[in-house]
Amino acid sequence: MDPFLTSRIMSDVLSGVTNGVIYGLVALSLVLVWRSTRILNFAQGAMPMLATYLGMVIFSSHLGYWASVAISMVAGFAIGGVTERVLVRHLYGKPELNPIVVMVGFLIVLEGVAAAIWSTQPRSFPNPFSTIDWQLGGKPIALSDFSVYKIVTAVIVMTVVAVLFRYTKLGLQLRASALAPEVSRLLGVRVSRMLTLGWVLSMGVGTITTVLVASNFFTGLTPQVMDGVFAFGFIAAAVGGLDSPVGAIISGLCIGVILQFVGDYLNSNAILLVALAILIVSLMIRPNGLFTKSSARRV
Amino acid sequence: MNLLFERRRIILTVGAIVVAVAIAALAASTTRDAVAISVAIALVIAGVAAITSKGVRATHPVFTRAALTVTVVVASLVGTFYFSPTTNFNLAVGAAMSIVLLGLSFLTGASGQISLGNGAFMGVGALIMAIWANHHATTPIAITLLIAVAGGAVTGLLLGLPATRLRGPYLAGMTLAFAFAFTAIVNSFSSWTGGDAGLQLPNAATPPHWLVSLFTSPTSLFATNTMWLTDITIVVTGVAFFLMANLFSSRMGRAMRLIRDNDVAAELVGVALPRTRVIAFIVSSAYAALGGALWTLINNSVSPPTYSFALSITILSLLVIGGIGTIPGALIGGIIYAYSASVISWITSQTGLNPQGNFASQLNGIIFGGLLILTMIFAPMGIAGAVRRLWIRRHARSSP
Repeated sequence: MDPFLTSRIMSDVLSGVTNGVIYGLVALSLVLVWRSTRILNFAQGAMPMLATYLGMVIFSSHLGYWASVAISMVAGFAIGGVTERVLVRHLYGKPELNPIVVMVGFLIVLEGVAAAIWSTQPRSFPNPFSTIDWQLGGKPIALSDFSVYKIVTAVIVMTVVAVLFRYTKLGLQLRASALAPEVSRLLGVRVSRMLTLGWVLSMGVGTITTVLVASNFFTGLTPQVMDGVFAFGFIAAAVGGLDSPVGAIISGLCIGVILQFVGDYLNSNAILLVALAILIVSLMIRPNGLFTKSSARRV
Repeated sequence: MNLLFERRRIILTVGAIVVAVAIAALAASTTRDAVAISVAIALVIAGVAAITSKGVRATHPVFTRAALTVTVVVASLVGTFYFSPTTNFNLAVGAAMSIVLLGLSFLTGASGQISLGNGAFMGVGALIMAIWANHHATTPIAITLLIAVAGGAVTGLLLGLPATRLRGPYLAGMTLAFAFAFTAIVNSFSSWTGGDAGLQLPNAATPPHWLVSLFTSPTSLFATNTMWLTDITIVVTGVAFFLMANLFSSRMGRAMRLIRDNDVAAELVGVALPRTRVIAFIVSSAYAALGGALWTLINNSVSPPTYSFALSITILSLLVIGGIGTIPGALIGGIIYAYSASVISWITSQTGLNPQGNFASQLNGIIFGGLLILTMIFAPMGIAGAVRRLWIRRHARSSP
């Protein structure tokens, strides 16, 4: 038992899962926005990044870690809601190109503003969890307090989202207004409010993800902190299918583990190449993702 | 009536050419200058006359396009002789960028697909140019450029194959992943590409002797070299624009516009959807590779970190601001790119910002991103589209 837990394969699996839950969360937040408004949010990394700066960098030295996380969450909700009301609302019913371009523009504006205010230097803030690996019989296991914190938080978030969508009246309204807005409106669902709520929820998930990523003391928080994570999260969402939350999480985990093995057994440059290959191959086989039932497109 | 107008136009044109040559002969200091200027002016006037003539425009559109291209190219070539090396360099960089924009404009405007990875395709062309020149230093520039274009086209084919089945956001995300992976690709083959440090060209492109002897200018060798490189870039740009203008109005171009507007209808009338999409992707990446190869030529070196995701975003912004799917839009975008750095440093100096400060260093991204959002919401067809709409409105008011 002991040699297995500390073996190279097992440590790759554990580190892979730790990364994979983050990719899964990013993919989940992309899926939430996609399902509610049919927009692929290229600013999905940058919007929570700003919220994390607002909460953690300004307040964490005064109020401690958990209070600042709460402030970041509130900021994230607010940014999500305001963005939907002010910016995204103009884009419904426009050609596919318009939302892509606008969200890419929003991404660079947000990163530029954050760097203008807080500079591109990494900001670290104290966090209550140690990043030192656990020891077993004098050998390290690829798990630390910090990675367990990441995994547990991710599982909680995923459960909350699943319960919300499956078992509550609000979740039913959210699903209904995404699938059949006209019918839902006739049945008394406030569809426009639901669309905003979809963005708010997605930003909530995104902000938790960004806080988890930025809590790593050694890498800290930078304006571009979510760029790479976003790329892997998008790959996970696309492989799983932008319509499938379960697919997003599963493919996020798988991609995390696969890429960890690639990085360990080949080299770090191969990670992005393999990720790109996974994306291309899976899109060639199933253009709508591995976990969605292929649907006829309405003409 | 119509014939009368044509005859009057011809007389006017010939008269204008004679007057222009006379002025050039009086004003220029040397005989060679006078010849150069008068040839240029004559070509410009003849070109404009040919373009504006309605009969020619209707019956021989290719001739009109050729005349327009030659006119603009010759006017720019004459300009490079008088511009400072800095202006020439900016002009060359902007012209190469406008080729890239034209390729993306074709992909987006004609087929409705979007690529967020054209910066990386530029990098492919730029690197192939440098690698080939380092291994076969004697190959003529034109051949090396063509090899770089072919390399870009092959890369486009590889990425374009899955693109045949993808729609909007998936394709955008896939090209974004390629833009991120480009750095990793460069570093994986660092023995060829030189890694982040990049490559130098083995020998600088120098003007041929007959040209040097023709323009015995008092300027330095450096200025002559810059002028020569700028002239090469302008000629290549002219050829690229001419070919694309014809492609836009060809059967293929019409099929692509139909795909953009209604892909189901396009399939029903017999357009081969996958093949057309792949071709659009290949053309776009080949044009991007050509632009990148020209950048290598202009800079005499290639630095892979230039071709980052940020460059792809800049390309997208320039295209949207200039006008998607229009040929003037690509040109406007290229000009904006050539002068954006000086405009932003002017803004910095006017507002009294610290040039090394956080805000000034981020100004480029904030301005481009903001313009991208505003253009897309308020004028989705960009500057070229807005101007065209004003033009049409004015003509609609005056004609009835």
